[in-house]
Amino acid sequence: MANGATVAAPLARTLISRRTRELVTGYLYLVPVVVVLGATVLFPILKAMRMSLYNHVLIKPQEYRYVGLANYVRLLHDEVFWQSLWNSCLWVFGSVSFQFLGGFAGALLLHRSFRGRILVRTITLLPWIIPGVVVALVWEFIYQPNYGLLNDILSRAGLMTERVAWLSSPALAMPAVIATNVWRGVPFFAIMLLAGLQAIPTELYEAARVDGASVVQRFTHVTLPLLRPIIVVATATRIVWTFNYADLIFVMTGGGPANATQITSTYTLLQAYSNLDFGYAATLSVVLLLIMLAFTVFYLRVTRGLESVS
Amino acid sequence: MRRAPGRDWTERVLGGPVLWAGLAALTLFAVAPFIWVLLASFKTRAELYATPIVYLPASLSLANYVDAWTSKLTPFSRFFANSLWVSSVTMVATTAVSILAGYALARFRFAGRQTFLLIFLATQMFPAVLLIAPLLSQWHALGLIDTYQALIYSNFSFTVPFTVWMLVGYFESIPKELEESAMLDGCNRFGALCRVVLPLAAPGVAATAIFAFVASWSELLFAITFTSQTEMRTLSAGLLYMVGQYEIQWGQLSAGVIISTVPVAVLFTYLQRHLIQGLSAGAVKG
Repeated sequence: MANGATVAAPLARTLISRRTRELVTGYLYLVPVVVVLGATVLFPILKAMRMSLYNHVLIKPQEYRYVGLANYVRLLHDEVFWQSLWNSCLWVFGSVSFQFLGGFAGALLLHRSFRGRILVRTITLLPWIIPGVVVALVWEFIYQPNYGLLNDILSRAGLMTERVAWLSSPALAMPAVIATNVWRGVPFFAIMLLAGLQAIPTELYEAARVDGASVVQRFTHVTLPLLRPIIVVATATRIVWTFNYADLIFVMTGGGPANATQITSTYTLLQAYSNLDFGYAATLSVVLLLIMLAFTVFYLRVTRGLESVS
Repeated sequence: MRRAPGRDWTERVLGGPVLWAGLAALTLFAVAPFIWVLLASFKTRAELYATPIVYLPASLSLANYVDAWTSKLTPFSRFFANSLWVSSVTMVATTAVSILAGYALARFRFAGRQTFLLIFLATQMFPAVLLIAPLLSQWHALGLIDTYQALIYSNFSFTVPFTVWMLVGYFESIPKELEESAMLDGCNRFGALCRVVLPLAAPGVAATAIFAFVASWSELLFAITFTSQTEMRTLSAGLLYMVGQYEIQWGQLSAGVIISTVPVAVLFTYLQRHLIQGLSAGAVKG
């Protein structure tokens, strides 16, 4: 674009046309992203809302018809759905609380300076970045009843007399998948909180030390209050992400045994992927979306509150 | 400065034995499962299924890797090539789209800017499972099942919101004056973006691009839903497909796990520093 034409034009006109042109350029730059997300996020979500009003099972095309809110009524009477919501709560609470505790401990350790710190930091981040299916398979191998590592270690330590089938026992399957997810998520909290720790000015600790504060007091009066914003952001992100996360459970147990590990997102996946019941899967998706929206609004309120405090 | 002896003692214990024991535990916790799988990938069948468990393989045999790579039933060479192609194209396209959008949101103050930013943040919170049913029927209608396009387009749904969000931050940190002087010298907006802003933002752009690559590399649900032929599977889908076979071949599977992990681990080592900055600035999915 040559500027030869505008050079000769009166100054006022140049200013106006430049501002309009800027605005048009700005919108033009957004066209690709709007097209891309429109086609892969917005349109599919609207489509899911529409699909939820239809009886739409891929392998039974003759039964395709408009059913109004029948899928939602079915949802209300679906015991597995309610169980999956409860399981989701257990899954989220169990995973996130232990990830937080482990990650906080990890962050405090990695914050100290020692030789080989970068190497240790990179190694401890590994569980978080590898593909979910890899995490699932690695742990399935460890939990394997006959030649798995866990049973072997426990029996060698004299803690176990009979082999345990971790993933096929209704009582143990949920703790087992949660433990796997904790392993995966600890690094996330560790790096988030480490970034927070590194942002705290060392002068504050020095001042607290001069005032005679003990290690514990420095932790509760300097570290914790200053980390609060990042703790809230990290925890909220993690709650949403864990609630949505289906890969691990889908690969390890498929929601079984007897729906003991069926969470709402794997149940949705099951309806779409295995049963090809698109109408019902879409209904579950819409409900998931509403739950997520409610949580996001709540989360934005909380973070706004934090900003106004600080 | 005099301090109470008790406090000194606590600090010394926390900084010494507790620190080292903690670090050892942390490293072991993170790395032990990998070592176990790495060892398994070198074991023979007899060693894998022996009771009591055999911890160390007798030799560092690469037989499992060769088998997995050349297998007819689960061809990992093909899976690897598929993953590489899908992730690379996703990365390049995501980066191009996100540079334009990120730049526009960082520089132009137009109506709806805040809404846009909020949408990008909210999209990161959407569950992928929500999109499975509608996208499957959409790709079905367009005849895109078992194509790379379906996987690449679907991957945009989670890579683009995050990379735009990251790039807005990077672009905002670059002083406006540099572009303005370039534009006074006769550069247009796009020229200024390419010649002035991008070179300065290069580390950030590289980090976001690698993020898009790693996230697509790990993607599982779209890959299993939108492909049905073996030769179209990505590594994640291929690994799951291997489990679905009549009997789990843990030797080959372990080799496959290592093959899938090494590229992302290497890339991530580079990415680490940049990602941590971006993470603490905003929300992240994954």
